[in-house]
Amino acid sequence: MASNSILVIGGGFAGLTAALEAAEIGHEVFIIEKTPFLGGRVMQLNKYFPKLCPPSCGLEIQYQRIKNNPKVKFFTLAEVTKVEGGVGNYDVTVRIKPRYAGPSSPDLSDLCSSLDSEVVNDFEFGLATRKPVYMDAPFAFPQRYVVDKAGMSDADKAKVQKCDYFDLNEEEKTVTLNVGSIVIATGWKPYDVTKLTNLGAGQVKNCISNMQMERLASPYGPTNGKIVRPSDGREPKKIAFVQCAGSRDENHLHYCSYICCAASLKQAQYVREQYPDAEVTIFYIDLRTPGRYDNFSKKVLADEKTFAVKGKVAAVEQDKAGDDVWVTVEDAVSGSKSVERFDLVVLATGMQPSLAGASLPLDVPVDSEGFIIGGEEKGIFAAGCAKQPLDVMKSAQSATGAAMKAIQTVRGR
Amino acid sequence: MSKTVKIEPNLQFVKELQEVGGADLKKCYQCATCSVTCPMSPADNPYPRKEMVWAQWGLKDKLVNDIDIWLCHNCGNCSELCPRGAKPGDLMSALRNMAYRKLVAPTIIGTWMSSPKHLPILAGIPAALFAIIWMIRAAMLGTFFPLTEDGKIVYGNLFPGDFTIDPVFVLLFLCVCLCFGMGIKNMIDGFKATVGQTFVLGYKKPSLKDAIIDTVKYDILQHSRFKNCVDSPADEERVKGHQILFYGFVACAIVTTIVAVSHWGGKVVHFIAPLGHTPMPLWSPVKILANVGAVLLVTGLTLLTRRRLNADTAKSRSNYYDWYLLGVIWVVTLTGIGSEVFRLAGVAPLAFFTYYVHLVSIFMLIGYLPWSKLGHLVYRTTALIYARYVGRLPIGEKLIEDDKIFVI
Repeated sequence: MASNSILVIGGGFAGLTAALEAAEIGHEVFIIEKTPFLGGRVMQLNKYFPKLCPPSCGLEIQYQRIKNNPKVKFFTLAEVTKVEGGVGNYDVTVRIKPRYAGPSSPDLSDLCSSLDSEVVNDFEFGLATRKPVYMDAPFAFPQRYVVDKAGMSDADKAKVQKCDYFDLNEEEKTVTLNVGSIVIATGWKPYDVTKLTNLGAGQVKNCISNMQMERLASPYGPTNGKIVRPSDGREPKKIAFVQCAGSRDENHLHYCSYICCAASLKQAQYVREQYPDAEVTIFYIDLRTPGRYDNFSKKVLADEKTFAVKGKVAAVEQDKAGDDVWVTVEDAVSGSKSVERFDLVVLATGMQPSLAGASLPLDVPVDSEGFIIGGEEKGIFAAGCAKQPLDVMKSAQSATGAAMKAIQTVRGR
Repeated sequence: MSKTVKIEPNLQFVKELQEVGGADLKKCYQCATCSVTCPMSPADNPYPRKEMVWAQWGLKDKLVNDIDIWLCHNCGNCSELCPRGAKPGDLMSALRNMAYRKLVAPTIIGTWMSSPKHLPILAGIPAALFAIIWMIRAAMLGTFFPLTEDGKIVYGNLFPGDFTIDPVFVLLFLCVCLCFGMGIKNMIDGFKATVGQTFVLGYKKPSLKDAIIDTVKYDILQHSRFKNCVDSPADEERVKGHQILFYGFVACAIVTTIVAVSHWGGKVVHFIAPLGHTPMPLWSPVKILANVGAVLLVTGLTLLTRRRLNADTAKSRSNYYDWYLLGVIWVVTLTGIGSEVFRLAGVAPLAFFTYYVHLVSIFMLIGYLPWSKLGHLVYRTTALIYARYVGRLPIGEKLIEDDKIFVI
């Protein structure tokens, strides 16, 4: 049966945008999100380009639009397991993992904090732990708890079961959806730092990734927005940003991740706003700030304590006696190699498509990096960072484009 | 623009470099990973990033006088981590190949040494020379494979040392020394013009004598710089292979010296003459040393050849200079051992032919030394001594206590 519904895989900024654009034209849209909450990577940022808004700013509008539009249906903790049929008529099987928590959220923060178990917090990139009953952020959507049953002690389970809001016996569900077109907005993941062996491989205590920096700077993050060293909570005085940590590198990601230079400049600003005495150095191959980011770059670098040095850091080591970080770099302009001590080092790790090393049960071509490079003749359209590394603004634009193509595909069916 | 620099790229030079091993040099985008990861690179004007940009621009003048191409021991860290696959390590070795080719006159030998298509000339010269000697001697003796009265094979009967071997090789050796002398002069003139003095606090500027002693003691005998380059089992194999091969050569050089000195010296001081009288009995300490040398040579060669064969060509490509040298040393070693074995076995035609090939290969090893990769034994030594003399040291080298090194 031909369908004019649209499936959107991925509930991040691109997925939400594509879904809303199509739904607001009148199409039924299903969003399939793997994690318990919508919002994707943008939820994890402190501020995002182009206007340096906090994520709540743009996302809350999107969440409102979803709430107010009966045409948008979304599934969290859900994954597409099977796709059958062809353009205009796909039968999509979706597996939904149990959430163990009911809809409409009472305030259960007392119960949550009374639990004993602590689980590594993936949302905070391991910078903190969380209780096994949680929400990612205060403005998480849906406003509904999720239970991490695997990370729970028996005592906690007993405690939680007493509350009617939870059902720990909930089972996995499978639903089948009939759609005419599919938008893939599976987004990106930060490149695995453990592969960057010469940059400490994630083992150097005060060498963090740029996404961890976003969490440190976020008012809802593990430090309530105070940028401190993970090892001892000290305020950093000397901070280095290491650009192209994995990007533009044949041994890692072959491409430029587009936004890391601008992101490091943005994070340099976070640091400088908090610490008037701190000194920030950005080590780069080329400071790539396309379009309006060039003005932003000029503005940030006009600061007297923010420096940009041409030269890629190729060695990061932990101080033998303490928690400081030693960085070896050549200033390629002056031609001098030095080993410098920093309090905190931030690796500007690149964006890897979520589909790298993973795959969807869909017959769409991907390139060697995992970016989607086709599928349009089948009514399957990629949006956002599933297609190429982009900033939020361009992700949204590409999502609008994908939505338009999906609409054209299902129109009149 | 306060200062305009006019760059005159030498495109021919770039092409030549690409031919002798720097094929991927144009891929470099100057990120400086290489200079950072190099364990030998000093603090000021580190290498090999600057060589990459010079090579891309074809700045021949800068490159031909560059001391750093000899300080590099080609561990391959730079090529390993290079984000572009530009292989800085291969470029450094291509630059050395360029020096082998052009540093000393007659550069026609350098050209012959640069490509396998000239191999027939290189092999043909000694092959013809020793074939003529063989034929003249055969005419004189009435046989191509002369035996002694008691039926033994003595190579000296066919190629008498006093009249054929020694004059040829002594003359050759003197020519090679002369060429090396010119090479060293060219190098030092170039270094003087380009290498600055580095002052390292806490590092006493050594006298030239100290620099020479330290270079020989640490860099050559102990391979200490080379050992800095180790960070994988393959690197370890390379250092070990090189050191074993080096000591194999030392053993053979000692044997040759003893034979030469006792033979010629024996004509004046008669009692030392028997020491170097060949063929030696197997129990002779000199012969034992020679055989130990042969074993070391085979071991070292095996390690080095295996590493090259197993190396990832995406990270480093062996070039003709590498294979020429390994090949010639293999032939020298195997024919040397073969000569001894066939002589003892009494297989005259095979023994004499093997010995003939041995002579040809030795000529190819020694006669073309200044233009071959083995020339590094003089060129690299010169550069290492000079670098120590002017304080151009790897960042963080533990020559003195760590915390006293401050580079200004």
